[in-house]
Amino acid sequence: MIAWTLFYNPIPFRSDSTLWLLLPLCAMVAAVYKTVRTHNVRRLPVEILVLVGYMAGGLVVLGGALWLIQAYWP
Amino acid sequence: MTGNAVSAKLPAPRMSKATGKSRAMPLVALILAWLVPGAGHAYIGRIARGIVIFVAIAATFWAGVAMGGVMTVDYHGERWWFIAQMCSGVHGLVSWHRQQTVYDRLTEDLRVVDPDTARSSEVSYQQMLIDQKLARDKLVLVAPADTVARAYAGVAGLLNLMCIFDAVILAILGVSGEPQRQPEQEVRLPQNPP
Repeated sequence: MIAWTLFYNPIPFRSDSTLWLLLPLCAMVAAVYKTVRTHNVRRLPVEILVLVGYMAGGLVVLGGALWLIQAYWP
Repeated sequence: MTGNAVSAKLPAPRMSKATGKSRAMPLVALILAWLVPGAGHAYIGRIARGIVIFVAIAATFWAGVAMGGVMTVDYHGERWWFIAQMCSGVHGLVSWHRQQTVYDRLTEDLRVVDPDTARSSEVSYQQMLIDQKLARDKLVLVAPADTVARAYAGVAGLLNLMCIFDAVILAILGVSGEPQRQPEQEVRLPQNPP
């Protein structure tokens, strides 16, 4: 029996839960992008939250539009 | 309104701190920014941003490696992801070294063939043996974990690529330190322009 080790063996995933992993990735992309772009570092947390909101909202809208297309396309 | 002029408050232009004598060198910024994510920004005086960049990129990269295991960085199987992952500097190099150590251990008793010169059947057979050993050690990276893990590590590298460009361009422009917003200046505008 081989022991499971973090950072060595892959974590077993369920396919239906992987979509949620987009959110932390969006948060990290927003954090780095806003860190590079912002003029005022003190406003960084607010700007990151706003950008994460935009990204998540955009993904929801895009997902909804694609679902509508595949569900009702003749 | 009083007098012949109207007072209006206009924001002052954004200025950077004076560069002085210690102007950042773009090549040093490039190497530092690649090797340690965020170090390029720290080098040009933006230490807080450098810390945020380092933490965010390290967290993203190692989250990917935690999900995908040691084979997330795979030079032999995923060349395009590998190139993106190597943009994350020391994180990518450490992961590549770990992956290469495992790969060497798995192939130490195999007669390794060169994929460019060997017959396709020999390459396929060797790959099959390696896959069997990976499965025996529970190291095989299968869907959907492979996509998620490699995307996390690859995106971390691509984010660092953006930070490298930013640090180098700021160094070329001679910017040093955080941009400073000067206090609002009072500008007097003429009341009756001709």
